[in-house]
Amino acid sequence: MSTSAPRTLADQLRGWSEQQLSALLDARPDLAAPAPHDSSQLAARVVVKASVLRALDGLDTLELTVLQAVVQETDPAALGVPAEAVEQALDRLRTLALVWGSPDRPVLVVREVLRLPDGPPPEEVPGLLERLEPPARTILDHLAETRADGRWSGAAGPTADLVALGLLVHVDERHVRLPWSVRLELDAAAGRRVDAPPEPATSERAQALVDRAAAGAAFELVRRTELLLDRWGTHPPAALKAGGLGVRELRTTAALLHVEPDVAALVIETAAAAGLLDQGMTDDVDAAWLPTDAYDSWLLGSPARRWLVLARAWLASPRLVSAVGGRIGDKPVNALSPDLPRSWLVALRNDVLAELADLPADHALAAGTGVASLTQRLRWRRPRRPLARLDQVAPMLAEAALLGIAGLDAMSSFGRLVVAGEDPTDALERLLPAPVDHILLQADLTAIAPGPLEQELARKLSLVADVESRGGATVYRFAASSVRRAFDAGWSAAEVHDFVASTSRTPVPQSLSYLVDDVSRRFGTLRAGHAESFLRSDDETALTELMHATGAESLRLRRIAPTVVVSDVPLGTLLPRIRELGLAPVVEAVDGTVRVARPDVFRARSRRRTPAGAGARTAAHTAAVVSAIRVGDRSTAGRPTRGASASTPADVIAMLRQAAESREQLVIGYVGNDGTVAERMVTPERVEGGQVTAYDERSDSQRSFSLHRITAVSRPG
Amino acid sequence: MNDGPLIVQSDKTLLLEVDHEQADACRKAIAPFAELERSPEHIHTYRLTPLGLWNARAAGHDAEQVVNVLLTFSRYAVPHALLVDVAETMARYGRLRLDKHPTHGLVLASNDRAVFEEVARSKKVAGMLGERLDDQPGAEGGAVAVHPSQRGNLKQALLKLGWPAEDFAGYVDGEAHAIKLDESDWTLRAYQQEAADSFWHGGSGVVVLPCGAGKTLVGAAAMARAQATTLILVTNTVSARQWKSELVRRTSLTEEEIGEYSGARKEIRPVTIATYQVLTMRRKGVYPHLELLDARDWGLIVYDEVHLLPAPIFRMTADLQARRRIGLTATLVREDGREGDVFSLIGPKRYDAPWKDIESQGWIAPADCVEVRVTLPEGERLAYATADPDERYRLASCTHAKTLVAEQLVKQHAGEPTLVIGQYLDQLDELAEHLDAPVIKGDTTVKERERLYEAFRTGELDLLVVSKVANFSVDLPGAAVAIQVSGSFGSRQEEAQRLGRLLRPKAKGPDGTQKPARFYAIVSRDTVDADFAQNRQRFLAEQGYAYRIVDAADL
Repeated sequence: MSTSAPRTLADQLRGWSEQQLSALLDARPDLAAPAPHDSSQLAARVVVKASVLRALDGLDTLELTVLQAVVQETDPAALGVPAEAVEQALDRLRTLALVWGSPDRPVLVVREVLRLPDGPPPEEVPGLLERLEPPARTILDHLAETRADGRWSGAAGPTADLVALGLLVHVDERHVRLPWSVRLELDAAAGRRVDAPPEPATSERAQALVDRAAAGAAFELVRRTELLLDRWGTHPPAALKAGGLGVRELRTTAALLHVEPDVAALVIETAAAAGLLDQGMTDDVDAAWLPTDAYDSWLLGSPARRWLVLARAWLASPRLVSAVGGRIGDKPVNALSPDLPRSWLVALRNDVLAELADLPADHALAAGTGVASLTQRLRWRRPRRPLARLDQVAPMLAEAALLGIAGLDAMSSFGRLVVAGEDPTDALERLLPAPVDHILLQADLTAIAPGPLEQELARKLSLVADVESRGGATVYRFAASSVRRAFDAGWSAAEVHDFVASTSRTPVPQSLSYLVDDVSRRFGTLRAGHAESFLRSDDETALTELMHATGAESLRLRRIAPTVVVSDVPLGTLLPRIRELGLAPVVEAVDGTVRVARPDVFRARSRRRTPAGAGARTAAHTAAVVSAIRVGDRSTAGRPTRGASASTPADVIAMLRQAAESREQLVIGYVGNDGTVAERMVTPERVEGGQVTAYDERSDSQRSFSLHRITAVSRPG
Repeated sequence: MNDGPLIVQSDKTLLLEVDHEQADACRKAIAPFAELERSPEHIHTYRLTPLGLWNARAAGHDAEQVVNVLLTFSRYAVPHALLVDVAETMARYGRLRLDKHPTHGLVLASNDRAVFEEVARSKKVAGMLGERLDDQPGAEGGAVAVHPSQRGNLKQALLKLGWPAEDFAGYVDGEAHAIKLDESDWTLRAYQQEAADSFWHGGSGVVVLPCGAGKTLVGAAAMARAQATTLILVTNTVSARQWKSELVRRTSLTEEEIGEYSGARKEIRPVTIATYQVLTMRRKGVYPHLELLDARDWGLIVYDEVHLLPAPIFRMTADLQARRRIGLTATLVREDGREGDVFSLIGPKRYDAPWKDIESQGWIAPADCVEVRVTLPEGERLAYATADPDERYRLASCTHAKTLVAEQLVKQHAGEPTLVIGQYLDQLDELAEHLDAPVIKGDTTVKERERLYEAFRTGELDLLVVSKVANFSVDLPGAAVAIQVSGSFGSRQEEAQRLGRLLRPKAKGPDGTQKPARFYAIVSRDTVDADFAQNRQRFLAEQGYAYRIVDAADL
């Protein structure tokens, strides 16, 4: 703080050290974008209502109460709060430039926003309160608790009595407000503490337990995301015209993932936030939700790396996923719908996670009361934010638990690292199940992978067997159709035998060998031609069987030789029909080689993403802005008219604001209604909405001047 | 990471690694609340179902125990959602109670207002509830009168709503009748006593015991506890006769006190054994034999083989809620998925034998299942290829090649008691002629059947050709070899049951080892017959039987 009282806010800022300026810009990042030219412009921005409101919303209850006291011109020391706390709060208010000068005075807008009627003298209040009827007292207590205005139509009743007594003040036609002295008294009576936040209700829980649960959730998330996108790569769901995903598709997905629709919505939204999922076009040129090409590279990472991508995306996502499945107004809310982003969500999430991270070591939120106490604490931290937002605390904790950032109502160790912006992969890697390289084969034709399989192995295995159950382990089932799928993809019987024998820890059951041999024996018994669409087989009986199969008439088969059948149905139509009949034809290319079919997989392009808002806050940027302001200050200081007059619009506004803040007189050049420029001596009071409200010396009254008609401003003398 | 034997899957199945050192402890711990679904050689699959959890709850386990077991034995982190789900599901049981009321008869009550309102307003139960009763002591959530005749329907409906009620309304004593166990030359095994006791303390419910563990005796012990007239419902006549002879032998009851109520005889005595079939028989849209249920003031109703209980019996049972009911079965799993009806109408599981006992009782009989594959001769193959789909199975089943293989097998096992089982009568006749053995078919008289069985049992005969009817005969002990030439045996569950019966573990040999029973199935390669064989193979493997495939040429 400068020792001598500064004349204007701009002067004070000019006198601030670089650290102080940086602190201000860090705390109120909106001031720095775009970078202000010099301190006077900065000072002008500091007092703009929108920016001040934003700063006020970031204050906690203690800071707000101290600021209120300053506004009410009460000594903050009289609040019954330890002097040290008051001084800390004041320091922060000064840093934020919400109060300035010496003694501390609030900037005008703060006074305007916060100022309460003074009310009856404090010594009379207890007496007045004592005589109140219970309904009236309830009204007062409620208003003090919620810090809101009351509504009153003017009708007789307890509210009217309270107004008559001066315990409530009529602020406009419909509203009454609790005056300052009454509020102080009620706060004291209710024992509301302003100097410390309410403690969260906790219970003991070992960090190791929390980590285990969270790692399980993290692993599930990665697995579900992979399952989801794998499925959507081949069976993309249509995108709704209004954007978003249909309710039925969401339900199907929930069934696929074995979860409730709200969890499925979270998985989908998180994948989209991470850029793994986006709208694209399928072959039929329908808008659909498809995995992006980023998904392919995501797949290559270790589970911990993959999780990190998802967790970071969730942390930065402003989308209100908990609203999916509900209604806003009368409109149902779909997953991936464009209506979901909420500007305040990320800030609230950061607050919630910060509180969770602040819990004592080896403690978790108590069951039942924990969330409520956390909400109370958040309310203390940010009393000016709308209460309805705190409804999101519980869903947010649930989401964090599903992500694995939290577990069992406490922060996981690796979640803490992610939130702090550090690399959690090592910590997480240790907790995740190690990939296994073998399976257990059983006589009922199931293969069980007793843990997450290595990727290459999993890919191969899912080709020859169908997945039956997922989770920590995966259960695969071999069936004729799945083995045939492998043959269709070009495997030979010997390869399949080798593969199962080499990956299984248990002996290959005889039934499986028989199955593979049975399929291989029947596989390729028929060969279908491309150009002429022919079916040929060395096995005459097989062809006879085909010719007599039910439904074979529509294939228009004609037997041209004991071992050859032709058809005029295009091969693309013919082939699936024949497979439906239970046969296993192989398609031959023109040169007689066997063609290998692979199901088509769709991909969308990944969207280019610019990290939101993060840049403006980086220390490097702040430093650049601070030095820019300094340079601006130096260059204006060089000019002879520094601070004495202004003619550019930006300077004019800055000077007017400054004058309003410090109650200075100014001479303005003003274009009158007749088009002539006249000089007027004024004392500005408020600058907003393109108007300056000022006291005009000449007419001895308050007048409004349009900013755009002001040609120049200068200090008198 | 915990190195436990259990892996909890997200679809609520539990995989248990059998060779793990903690596998036994784990199996014991999860048995009360998880249903065994498959038990192949390395990894057993259990499933968590709401019913299983409610059964555990009824047996006095709580969610914390269940969660603790899962966390203790699980190799990987257990999905949090699953734990929450377990706790929530278990908390649902017993929120609602059915109580006796001095003036209103029966009352549905709850201490939980929200749950009570949800249920009371539900359309599904609307017709079953009477007037609301206020200020019932011990029912802070609310209470409502229920007509006693709706007791069963209400319980069924509540289960469907997901709020199973606990039934505290008690039972009528029924007409007294002295019954006591006659333990002069045998004694009740400890677990049988335990099963009867826990049934009696629980009121009504199901006792789960493996085949051959003496379920009949548990029923007899329950009757001795009840000391009242008893209605016993069994699957078929042969089984009814077996019950009768067991009861005469093991209790103070005499032949005259036990009646048989079946297609052949309609006797109503203090202890009456009726078949499901006769009860469910319909004539002109009505069940003429339904009045049997009210013919006497029964004090106890015994349901044999609960998992086979036909659906109409459920409807009839709904009206019998005031009587004590005991269900006896080897498995709670029903092919038709009506486990919920068993739970709500007969009662929760009251007793489950520990695994070790099951094993020593030969639940998994050391049976050797062999699939013999024959190739259709070229001519028959062509006939098969050109046949109608509904004819194909018959063609594939009745090939002459099978007769030859059966003959060869019979020769190999000459001297051992052998059964040849088939579905098609022509084929059976052909076989009987070829093998020179008597044949039992549907039209064989009961008398003749019993004569042949008796001869087979005593060793006078060592080869019988039987049709499907043999599936329903309960007492064919001594068959060491079974050769199945055709026939899909109804549900897979039923097949395993019959197989278990047919292949009872034999008396131990001089060296103390059991000679495993052989079960041959002759299957035509590359036909629908082979497809059916696949299902059987899967099921038998899931039940833990050894299964081999051989070529007819390699025999």
